[in-house]
Amino acid sequence: MTRLWPGRALAYLWSGWGAIASLLLFMAAWEWASGFHGELVLPDPRSALATLGGLLGSGAAGPELAITARRALLGFVFAVAVGSTLGLAAGLSMTASMMSRPIITVLLGTPPVAWLVLALLWFGSGDGTPVFTVFVACVPVIFAGAMQGARTLDGQLRDMASVFRLPPAMRLFDLYLPHVVSYLFPAWISALGISWKVVVMAELLSTSDGVGAALAVSRSHLDTAATLAWIVAVVGLLLAVEYLLLEPVKRMVERWRLTQ
Amino acid sequence: MLKRISAPITTQMAALMAALFLCGFRPFFLFAAASAVLAIGAWGGFLLGAWLLPEMAGGPLVWHAHEMVLGFALAAVVGFVVTAVPEFTGSAGVASARVKWMAVAWLAARVGALAGGVAGTALAAVATLALLMVLVTAVAPALWHGAERRHVSFLWGLLGLLLSTAGFYVEALGGGDPMRWLHAAIGILMVLIVIALSRISMRIVNGALELAGETGREYLARPPRRNLAVFAITLYTALEFFLPLHPVAGWVALAAAAALFNLLNDWFVGRVLFGRWVFMLQGVYWLMAAGYALIGWAILGGGLPPGAGRHLLTIGALGLAVFVVMNIAGRVHAGLEPDPRPWVPIAAAMLVVAAVARVFIYLPGGGTALFGAVLLWVLPFGLVVIRFWPLYSRPRADGRGGCEGIGD
Repeated sequence: MTRLWPGRALAYLWSGWGAIASLLLFMAAWEWASGFHGELVLPDPRSALATLGGLLGSGAAGPELAITARRALLGFVFAVAVGSTLGLAAGLSMTASMMSRPIITVLLGTPPVAWLVLALLWFGSGDGTPVFTVFVACVPVIFAGAMQGARTLDGQLRDMASVFRLPPAMRLFDLYLPHVVSYLFPAWISALGISWKVVVMAELLSTSDGVGAALAVSRSHLDTAATLAWIVAVVGLLLAVEYLLLEPVKRMVERWRLTQ
Repeated sequence: MLKRISAPITTQMAALMAALFLCGFRPFFLFAAASAVLAIGAWGGFLLGAWLLPEMAGGPLVWHAHEMVLGFALAAVVGFVVTAVPEFTGSAGVASARVKWMAVAWLAARVGALAGGVAGTALAAVATLALLMVLVTAVAPALWHGAERRHVSFLWGLLGLLLSTAGFYVEALGGGDPMRWLHAAIGILMVLIVIALSRISMRIVNGALELAGETGREYLARPPRRNLAVFAITLYTALEFFLPLHPVAGWVALAAAAALFNLLNDWFVGRVLFGRWVFMLQGVYWLMAAGYALIGWAILGGGLPPGAGRHLLTIGALGLAVFVVMNIAGRVHAGLEPDPRPWVPIAAAMLVVAAVARVFIYLPGGGTALFGAVLLWVLPFGLVVIRFWPLYSRPRADGRGGCEGIGD
C-alpha cells in the first residue's frame, strides 16, 4: 500500500485525534477535581490556560522557555554524542559491555537531584549546573540503548557482508545503521523526555532564570494558576516535539521493519 | 349496490395495506419523512405567528423537540431496527401484526401530541411507551442470543431510549421541565447512529472499494475507536443530564468531538471517499463532531449558545443519517439498488446547509436563516415522501416478499 507523503502526513496528523480526545477527558477530570478545592489549591484548566495565554501574550514566557530549551537541548546533545559513541564502542566488545553494565546500573540508580547538588558545587548557579545534570541523567539511558544495539547485530549478516565484500559505506548505511538506529532512537526519545523534566528541576533549585526558576517564583507567590500554566507549557512543548518531530522520524527510520 | 362499489375499494385498501406492511421499514420510513415535513412545517408556522402549537408542559419548544425526537427520529429508529436487526442477526423478521400495532401506537402518539394538554400528553405517553416496549420485546431475543452478542449494543441503546422517554413523560405529566430527558434521548440517538453507521459503512465503503477495483484496500470500522466515541458521547449525555452547562460537561463534549474526528481515521481509503454514499455517510460523523465541538465551546465560554451545536447534531447528523439510511436500506430492502439520481446528493446537501443555517441564526442579523433552515429541511424529506410512496404502496417490482434485499 503506497501512499504519497502528503496523504501519509495527513493520516499521521489525523491519528492524533484519539490522543486529543483522551487529553480532553483528562481536562474534564482536572476541571472536576478543581471543583472540590479552592482556586488556591487547584485552579480549573481554563484559568491555567488563560494564565498561560497571558504569559505568552505579554512576552514573559517566550524567553524563559527558550532558556530552558537551550539548557535541556545542550545537555541532551552532549549526552547523545557521548552516550551513543561510548555505548556502541562498548557493545562491540563483550569484555567492555560486561565491564560497563554495573557502572550503568550505578549511574541509572543515582537520583538526578544527587548529581544536582554536586553540580552546584562544581559549576555554581549558571548554565553549567542544569546542563551537566541533564547530561548525566541522560547518558546512561542512551549508553544502554546503544550498547544493546551494537550487541544484537546479526553476526550471520555481518559474515555475509564480508563474504560478498560489501564496501564499508554500504555496510555502515545498509547493515549496521538501520539496526543500531532502531535501538538508539527509542533511547534518544526517552532521554529527551528525561532531559526536559530534569532541566526544570535543576533550574528550580539552582538558577534565577528559565521555567524552573519561574516555577519557584510562582510557588513563592502561592500563584497556583501560574504554576499550572508553566507545567502545561513544559508538557505541551514536550508532547509537540515528541509527536510532531521525533515520532515521524522514528517511523521513517523504522519503515524497513514493516516492509520485511 | 353499496356493496358492489365498496368491494373494490376494500380490496384496494387491503392491497395497499399488504404492500405498506410488507416490511417494517416501509410504514415507518414514510412516517418519519412525513412527520419531518409536518412537524417542522408546524414549527415554522408557529415561529411566523401563523398559528399556536398544542399545549405541552415546558411550552412550544418542548412540543417541537418532542415531535422531532419521539415523532420523527423514533419512527426512523423503529423502521431501521425492525429491518436491520433480523438482517444482522440472521433471525426471523418482526411479525407484520407487531409492526401494525407499533404503527397504530405511533399514530396515536401523534394524535395525542396534536391534541395537547394533559390528556393529549397522556395519550402520547401511553402510545409511545407501548411502541417502544413492543419494539424492544420484538428484537431483544435476537440481539441477546445472536452470535457473540455482537449487536447487543443496539439493545442498550433502545433501553436507554425507553428510559429517557419514560422520564420525559413522567416529568411532563408531573409538571416539571421535561426537556433534559429529550436532550438525553438525543445523546442516545447519536450513540445509536455511530453503532448503526459502523455496520452500514462496512458494506457501503467496501462495496465502493470493490467497484473501484481497489482490491488491496479494506475498510474496517475498528471497535476501539468506536468505543471511545460511544464512551465520550455517553459520558457527555449523562453529564448534560445531571450537571447541565457544567464546565466538566464542556470538556467532555470537546472530547466527544475529538473522538468522532478520530473515527474518521478508519475512512482514509483513497478516492472512493468521494463517491456519493461513502461521502454522505462520512458527512454524518463530520456534522456530529462539529456539533459536539460547538456545544463544548459554548459551555466553556464560547459565543454561541449550546442550541447551535445541538442542532448540528439533530438537523445535521441525525437528519443526514436518517436520509442516507432511508435511501440505502429503504431501497435495497424494497428490491431496488440505491437511487443513482441527482436528487439524492442535492437533498443531502440541503440538509447540511439547513444545519449550518440553524447555527447562523445566533449570529447578528442571522434571524432570517431560520426560515432557510426550515425550508431546506422540509424539501428533502418532502422529496422522500414523493419518491418513496409509489415504491412502498405497491408490491415489490421484483416479485420477492418481505424485507429481502437484492442479493438475498
